[in-house]
Amino acid sequence: MRELFRKIKAFCKKRREDIRQRTYWVRKWEVTWKNTLVTAAILCMVTAVAWIYHRLSAGTVNIVMFYTIALIFIPRFTEGYVPGIVAAMVSVGCVNYLFTYPYFQWDFMRESYPITFVCMLLIAITVSAVTSYTKEQSRVLAAQEKQLMEAEKEKMRANLLRAVSHDLRTPLTGIIGASSAYLENGACLSEEKKRSMVEHIGEDANWLLNMVENLLTVTRIRGDLTGVNKTEEAAEEVVYEAVSRAKKRNPGIQVRVSVPDELLMLPMDAVLIGQVLINLMENAYFHARSDQPMDVYLYRKEEEAVFGVRDYGIGIPPARLDTIFDGEAMEGSGNSDSYRGMGIGLSICKTIVTAHGGRIMAHNHDRGAEISFTLPMG
Amino acid sequence: MGKGRERNRPPAACGQNRKTERDFFVNGTILVIEDEENIRDFIATSLRAQEYKAVDAKSAKEGIALASSLCPDLILLDLGLPDMDGMEVIRSVRAWSALPIVVISARTQEKEKVTALDLGADDYITKPFGISELMARVRTALRHGVHVAGAGLSAEVFRVGGLSLDFGKRLLKVDGAEIHLTQVEYKIVAFLARNAGRVMTYDAIISHVWGPYMDDNNRILRVNMANIRRKLEKNPAEPRYIYTEVGVGYRMAEEE
Repeated sequence: MRELFRKIKAFCKKRREDIRQRTYWVRKWEVTWKNTLVTAAILCMVTAVAWIYHRLSAGTVNIVMFYTIALIFIPRFTEGYVPGIVAAMVSVGCVNYLFTYPYFQWDFMRESYPITFVCMLLIAITVSAVTSYTKEQSRVLAAQEKQLMEAEKEKMRANLLRAVSHDLRTPLTGIIGASSAYLENGACLSEEKKRSMVEHIGEDANWLLNMVENLLTVTRIRGDLTGVNKTEEAAEEVVYEAVSRAKKRNPGIQVRVSVPDELLMLPMDAVLIGQVLINLMENAYFHARSDQPMDVYLYRKEEEAVFGVRDYGIGIPPARLDTIFDGEAMEGSGNSDSYRGMGIGLSICKTIVTAHGGRIMAHNHDRGAEISFTLPMG
Repeated sequence: MGKGRERNRPPAACGQNRKTERDFFVNGTILVIEDEENIRDFIATSLRAQEYKAVDAKSAKEGIALASSLCPDLILLDLGLPDMDGMEVIRSVRAWSALPIVVISARTQEKEKVTALDLGADDYITKPFGISELMARVRTALRHGVHVAGAGLSAEVFRVGGLSLDFGKRLLKVDGAEIHLTQVEYKIVAFLARNAGRVMTYDAIISHVWGPYMDDNNRILRVNMANIRRKLEKNPAEPRYIYTEVGVGYRMAEEE
């Protein structure tokens, strides 16, 4: 008994595999329930319309046109060649039997009959071929599109990783160096020196933490729009929290905040959006070289909320404006402020904002730089 | 060894005895449940430096056993333990005791924080944290533990910084100026003030102010909080009285 059961199971499995392996050409010529039903439905409909028309006006030429339209539609809604060809034959039969004199009798001897038949058959085959070709084409295009997107995402991730491992090494070197120096030469170092070494270790570790938090946020995005875990949040609370966190981390940072009187509730991942704001503020803090406070603002513009950070410093070099969110910006720059590696921070901002369905923009104004981003009101 | 004898020793003879001396003058016993040795070590060291008696446990099971045998004044609990979910520890301790529990959690898991608070944890601290932050949380939690034991807050007036809230007269003043609050706003502020120093989750506030049958749409709470903020805080980016814990709830500042 069990043996039999196993055999049946094996058979079913083999059959399923066969079906899966059916080639392109088999698919073109198979008969399925769906095709049959669709074809029958369209033909019935056309026949009914033609019948009404025939009773009202008794013309035959236009009835052929009705069936021609049906022949164009059938391949559109079915797969393969079979439905079109069958429909063509049925159509010719119907016209012959129902709508040409003598009514309700077959008459294959009429002189125009073979021409009508051949024409309809040709229409059916041509339309079937064109339709299935188009369908195939769009399928291939969609697949290519998807592949391209995957490649793009992959490229972004690779860039990110490269930039990150480059950037992690600097503070790690500092930490390892300072701690081993302390352990090995601790005896002959002054108290003051020891203290400053431990302070440096702390600074570097804090910076590493910042980086790791950025990376963690990226893992919260699973690559597409649906990947962010959004809840309704009060936008001003997110702004306020980001500002106080940034201040806690960089006591020297000076920020002026402006929010609208109206409370804006937006669907968002508050941790991620907070991270974006912190990155933008720290970016301004480290790179603007300004001692004036920066502006952090929030306002509503139609169906979007606009967040932004405006600083009053040296501005963004025009050559970098286009690539500033790409994560590669810091690669070639080679100057001293590349240590703070904000290239990554900004590319993460872009990833986060894009995943929320928003846009991020950077530009220079008269007295410095401004980076703003939008979020849909949901 | 009786503690009385310990006390009678002359302090001058310290040196060796210093540790036992400290054991006696402890501010309280704190149980640290954390599997990571480095973290456990630095927490315990800094607690001892602040005259607390620190006991550590490497796993949830050990922690639960120590909690019931030692009856500590406070538990510091890491949620990511190897043998059991930290939530289970909260549940099992809450089954028999109201002793304060402060949860140590990673920043990105705000859902976990809310669950822990709703299960009965008193507060949380986010990894990584500095010593001063940890000590502040420990002090607050210990103070509330005492309050619970003393049953009911008797204070008629809550004061922090320039803010004073008279529960009897329902009167709120900031820097001497009277602030007019709506009924709901007053209820929220009063609730936060009675639990000053502790983060109150959205759900806790909603069910206190609007009752347990309010749906969990917390938009109305946010709107009220926005109004309160506009009335109380001069510069909400540097809040003096009510702190926002995004994704979790709100916290009223506490007098130090």
